[in-house]
Amino acid sequence: MSHNVFAFRCKTCGQVSYPKHTICPKCRGETFEPQEIAGEGSVLTYTDVYALAIDYETRYLRLAIVELDDGMRVTGQLLDDSPRLGKRVRATIGVVRETAGTSIYGLQFVPA
Amino acid sequence: MRPVYIVGAGMTRFGRSEWPLVDLAAASSVAALHHAHLGKVPVDAVVVANMGGGRINRQTALGSALVDRLSLWPAAAESVENGPASGASAVKVGCQAIAAGMANVVLVTGVEMMRAVDGLEATDFVASLSHPEAEYIYGVTLPALAGLFTRLYMSKYGVERKHLAMVAIKNHDNAMKNPYAHIHQTVTMEGILTAPESVVNNPLVADPLGMFDCCPVSDGAASIILASAEVAQKLAAPRVLVAGIGQATDTHAVHERQDPTDLKAVRLASAAAFERAGAKPADIDVAELHDAFTILEIAESEAAGFFPIGHAHKAVERGETKLTGKLPINPSGGLKAKGHPVGATGVAQLVELVWQLRGEATGRQVSKAKTAYACNFGGFGNNVVATVLRKEER
Repeated sequence: MSHNVFAFRCKTCGQVSYPKHTICPKCRGETFEPQEIAGEGSVLTYTDVYALAIDYETRYLRLAIVELDDGMRVTGQLLDDSPRLGKRVRATIGVVRETAGTSIYGLQFVPA
Repeated sequence: MRPVYIVGAGMTRFGRSEWPLVDLAAASSVAALHHAHLGKVPVDAVVVANMGGGRINRQTALGSALVDRLSLWPAAAESVENGPASGASAVKVGCQAIAAGMANVVLVTGVEMMRAVDGLEATDFVASLSHPEAEYIYGVTLPALAGLFTRLYMSKYGVERKHLAMVAIKNHDNAMKNPYAHIHQTVTMEGILTAPESVVNNPLVADPLGMFDCCPVSDGAASIILASAEVAQKLAAPRVLVAGIGQATDTHAVHERQDPTDLKAVRLASAAAFERAGAKPADIDVAELHDAFTILEIAESEAAGFFPIGHAHKAVERGETKLTGKLPINPSGGLKAKGHPVGATGVAQLVELVWQLRGEATGRQVSKAKTAYACNFGGFGNNVVATVLRKEER
């Protein structure tokens, strides 16, 4: 499974950003090291999308913004049948889209 | 900087167009040119705002195409693509040309023909403005971002679905009085929210947002004529000054904002526009806001400074934003009911405000309107252009 979901730690000031900025938003540093996005956090907000994007054939898609315990926020798919604001979840990597026969990997959140 | 005036405005009816893209752009351009009564004064430059021509209609370089269609050679021409803020950005480009002394008369036309493709393709085309790796890959669309924003906003400020419905009802009512609006249909609280059949009438799109919280997919074009003081003075028409323009950007991914409910770019763009205009929010008599989703009318009206943060839904409840209220918002029907041909929207907002300031908005005229404000909201708030217009007595 190869994925391309990484946060970026600024080698100058330590600020972790997601998604990538070529210049650090905090110190304007230009060197970074990739960092896995993992761990637990809580649901900041979520939505069930019924007017689906291209490539999806489910009835709806549950999307969320999650605030991880290290303070970083991420957007992804919420795999939880009873979502609520503030609920504890864990970030995992899974197939989030199939487009033209290619699987795209990204963040999915499951109950912690 | 030289002052810039809007001396003419025109648009096509929004909705579904059978015309090719450039015919649509030409129709609103001619309407604005007629409205301006320029006589023999030449048009020095043409700026076209458009987002999807290259992808949806397979036509690019629309500025050059429009000059040709209108036989305006050798006028300068360009196209501006700035997402859903393309319209006001194009107006800004035209204003800069006049302010800098590089032109005396500029035609700005916003145009979009989104219904040339099916709804899925149109939604995907707009979704392509979201962050490709951090948002788009997950199936994020603009309604999805709006749904995420709305749930958070509701929990933070006590906004309820009924407040969103009130915005929709008001804007549909206003659009009934606007012959250029896409949707001519009154809606009721029962029909879209409280009656048992409301779940059929108003299905969820990205919960908590239903269909009647979302703008339609529209074709349409809108145009204004900008002129220097020297030219505006020669014309008989009422003078509408572009008193101030402000623009600000924010993070591409919504999750990266310190407070995702804070429309920071709206705040900063509005503050800059007000400062340049020497005006404050309380001076505004009429406003056109970018209600692609009903929640945005509420949130933008706060970020622009018309109401304290978290209080606009109460003002909506009191009817303050109706045509007859203290601050009429979206007399045109807004994006919600007038329609949202993305590249045309920012120009169309100013068309409505010019008509309002000139006393020409028959049937929906805000009385004694002298100062007006528009918010053109690009991306999901990551690029916003605010404009303040003022009528000058002759």
